[in-house]
Amino acid sequence: MDNSALNSAQMQQFLNQEKEKAMLNEMVAKLTNVCWDKCITSTPGSKFSSSESACLANCAQRYLDMSVIIMKRFQSMQ
Amino acid sequence: MDSFTSSASGAGSSQFSNEEFMDKLKLQLAQAYAQEFLETVTGKCFEKCITKPGSSLSGSESSCVSRCVDRYIEATGIIGRALFSAQR
Repeated sequence: MDNSALNSAQMQQFLNQEKEKAMLNEMVAKLTNVCWDKCITSTPGSKFSSSESACLANCAQRYLDMSVIIMKRFQSMQ
Repeated sequence: MDSFTSSASGAGSSQFSNEEFMDKLKLQLAQAYAQEFLETVTGKCFEKCITKPGSSLSGSESSCVSRCVDRYIEATGIIGRALFSAQR
């Protein structure tokens, strides 16, 4: 592959976009994995109960809140 | 993967256009993501539905598995919306 093609602005932009998408995908996948274990304790039914779906949404948002707190805590240690 | 390394080194002749490369990369990323998702769902639903493995999959186990897969997909949607719509 021609290096100049890889370095072109268009290609850089494309790679950055894909990287960002991959990170977001990864985050959703990871939180789904974690929150599934926390919130779905019974055998999966034909639809989520309202408490299960609320738990999933809360779980994801609290995980983010928590990571902010932890990040701050670490920054204050330096 | 092979297809593009081999043609990329192919005798210096026709190299890929950017567009071709982008399409291939997107396809491979999508495949990798689907593969990972499949593995995760298989693991989660095995845990939930096959609690005592018998000599064959029972009817209730297989219906549990299909409900589980549907719910896992739904859960992924709920999490995605919780992260990216409402507050941020």
